[in-house]
Amino acid sequence: MRKFFEILPHKADLKIKVFGASKKELFLNAMKAMFEAAGIKPEGKVVKRKIKIQSPDILQLLVDFLSEILYLSETENEAYFNIKFKKFSDNTLEGELFGKKIKEQGLIIKGVTYHNLEIRKKKEGYLATILFDV
Amino acid sequence: MISKKDFIKINDYLWEIPKSFRSDMRVPARIYASEKLLEECFRDESIKQLINVATLPGIVKYSIAMPDIHEGYGFPIGGVAATKYPDGAISPGGVGFDINCGVRLLISNLNNQEIASQLDKLAEEIQKEVPSGLGKGREVKLSTEQINRILEGGAKYLVEKGYGEKEDAENCESYGKLEWAEANYVSEKAKNRGRNQVGTLGSGNHFLEIQKVDQIYNEEIAKEFGLFPNQVVIMIHTGSRGLGHQIATDYLREMVFVMQKYGIRLPDKELACVPFNTKEGERYFNAMCCGANFAWANRQMITFYVRKAWERIIGKEKLTLLYDVAHNIAKIEEHEINGQKMKLIVHRKGATRAFPPEHPELPDRYRKTGQPVIIPGSMGTASYVLVGEEKSKEAWYTVCHGAGRTMSRAKAIKTISGRNVVETLRQKGIIVKCYSFKGVAEEAPQAYKNVDEVVDTVHKAGLSQRVARLVPLAVIKGE
Repeated sequence: MRKFFEILPHKADLKIKVFGASKKELFLNAMKAMFEAAGIKPEGKVVKRKIKIQSPDILQLLVDFLSEILYLSETENEAYFNIKFKKFSDNTLEGELFGKKIKEQGLIIKGVTYHNLEIRKKKEGYLATILFDV
Repeated sequence: MISKKDFIKINDYLWEIPKSFRSDMRVPARIYASEKLLEECFRDESIKQLINVATLPGIVKYSIAMPDIHEGYGFPIGGVAATKYPDGAISPGGVGFDINCGVRLLISNLNNQEIASQLDKLAEEIQKEVPSGLGKGREVKLSTEQINRILEGGAKYLVEKGYGEKEDAENCESYGKLEWAEANYVSEKAKNRGRNQVGTLGSGNHFLEIQKVDQIYNEEIAKEFGLFPNQVVIMIHTGSRGLGHQIATDYLREMVFVMQKYGIRLPDKELACVPFNTKEGERYFNAMCCGANFAWANRQMITFYVRKAWERIIGKEKLTLLYDVAHNIAKIEEHEINGQKMKLIVHRKGATRAFPPEHPELPDRYRKTGQPVIIPGSMGTASYVLVGEEKSKEAWYTVCHGAGRTMSRAKAIKTISGRNVVETLRQKGIIVKCYSFKGVAEEAPQAYKNVDEVVDTVHKAGLSQRVARLVPLAVIKGE
C-alpha cells in the first residue's frame, strides 16, 4: 500500500507531504500524519467529538482544521484516527472525529505554519505540503 | 543560489548582503558568523529567510542573524529585526509559536564532589517533580481567574504567592513580567490549554540539566555572578507551552488576513505582520506579553519543584536564580541610532537580549557587570554563561541562543541511535533520564552545530564576553 504521507527534510521543524484521492481524504490523511509523526500511541475505548470549521478558503480551512485538532488533542488528551464528514466544501467542514486517549507521545506539535503551504491537484488526487512547528 | 560572493565582508565575524541584492529588501541583511559557520548556512534556506526579514515594513538598519542561525519558517531561527515604534511592523512570526521560550540558571553553593553520591537520586526526583506535560499536564487545573493573574503578573505574581524567593523575579529579564499584558486579548482556548501546564517542561529541545562549572574565563565577573569552578548549577529550558502556541495560532490567522488591509505584501505568509499602532498590532502585542508572562511563570513554577526535589535529596543548601532570559520574544526597547535615542520594536526569534554594563533596565545587582546571558548547548554538550557588552549595541544588544540545528529531526532519528547516544553519554559520566530513545536521537549532539564555535564567534565579534563554561552531569527530559 502506498504510504499516505512523507516526511520532507527540514532542519528544525516537521515538514510533510500528504496525499489523498479526494480533498476529504487529504484532510483526514493530514490529521493522521500529524499524529503518526508525533509518535502518538493511543489506548482504550473509541471516543467521538464533533468538529465544525468555517474558513475563507481551502488553505486556511486546512490550517484551521489541523489547529483545532491540536487544540482538542492537547486539552482532551486524545488522538484522532478517523473523521466522518457531514459537510465538506472549500470553506466549511463539519463532522465527527473518532479517536482514543493518548498513552504515549514523542513530540509536541506547537502549531501549523503558513510557510510554503500548498494544496495541489494531481492526476491521482490531491497533494499538500505542510510545515509544523515542533 | 546564494553564496559567499553575495556577501560583503565587514570583518572576520560579520558579513552583509547589500540592499541591492533583491528589489524588495528595505535594508541590508547581516550575519555574525565565522567563515566556516557562514558556509554551513548555505546548506538550507536560512539566508533566504534572513533576506525575507529585510523586507518587513518599518525595519531599521538591517535584518540580523546570529551564528547559530538555521532554517525556520518566516524568520530564520537566530533572526533579529527591529522596526520603528510605533508604526513599524509587529510580526507573530518574528516571535514564533513558543512565545518566550527561554532559559534560566539556578546556582548552588556546592561543588560536584559534594553531591556526587546523590546525583542519580536527585535527577530522578527532579524528573518526578517536573512532568513533560505530554499527554497530561499537572494534576491541578487552575481556574480562568488564576490563569488571568498569571498572564498579567508573570513570575512576579507566583513569587508573591509564595512560589519563590523575592530575588527570583528581579533576576528575570524584564523582572519576569511585561506590563503590556492584557488577559482580555487571550482567547479562552489559549487559557484552557494553559490550565494544567504551569510547571511543565514540554518536549523537543526543552530540558532540565544538572551541570557543573567546567571553566571560568573571567574571574572577576564570575565572582560577581557567584560562579566558581566545579560548582553545581541547574539549567531549565522551556517556554509558554500550549497557551503560547494557541496565542500565536490565533493572531497569526488574523494577521494573514488583515495585512492586506494595510497594503502589506511579503515574500512569505509566515512573516505576516501589521503596523504596531493598529488595533490588531496592539492586541497581538498585549496577548504576546501574556504568553511571555506565562512562560516566566512556568519556569518559576518548575524552579519551585526543582527546589523541592533538591531540598529532599541534598538538603537546605540554597538554589539561587542567576538569571532568566527569553529567546523568542518581541519587546519595545530604547536604542540609539545615529546619536538619537529611539524606541524600537525588537523581534528576537531564537536570539537573546544581552544588555551591557550600566544599562538602566538592569537590576542593581548586574548594573556594574552587565546582564548575565545563558546559552544552552545541545544535549550532553557544554552550555555557557556570558555577559552583555557595549559593542552589541549594533545588534540591538543581542546574542545567540544556543548551538543551532544542523541536522533535521527525521534524519537524526534515521541515522542516530538514541540508545547509543545514552550509552556514549553514560561513558562520559553523564546521567540521562529520558523515557524515549527516539527523543534522545532527535536531540543528539551530532544534530547540532558545535556550541563552542558559536560562542567563540559571539565572543570574538564582541557581542558578549565569555564568563563560564558549564558541562552536564545529568540530563532530564521529563516524565
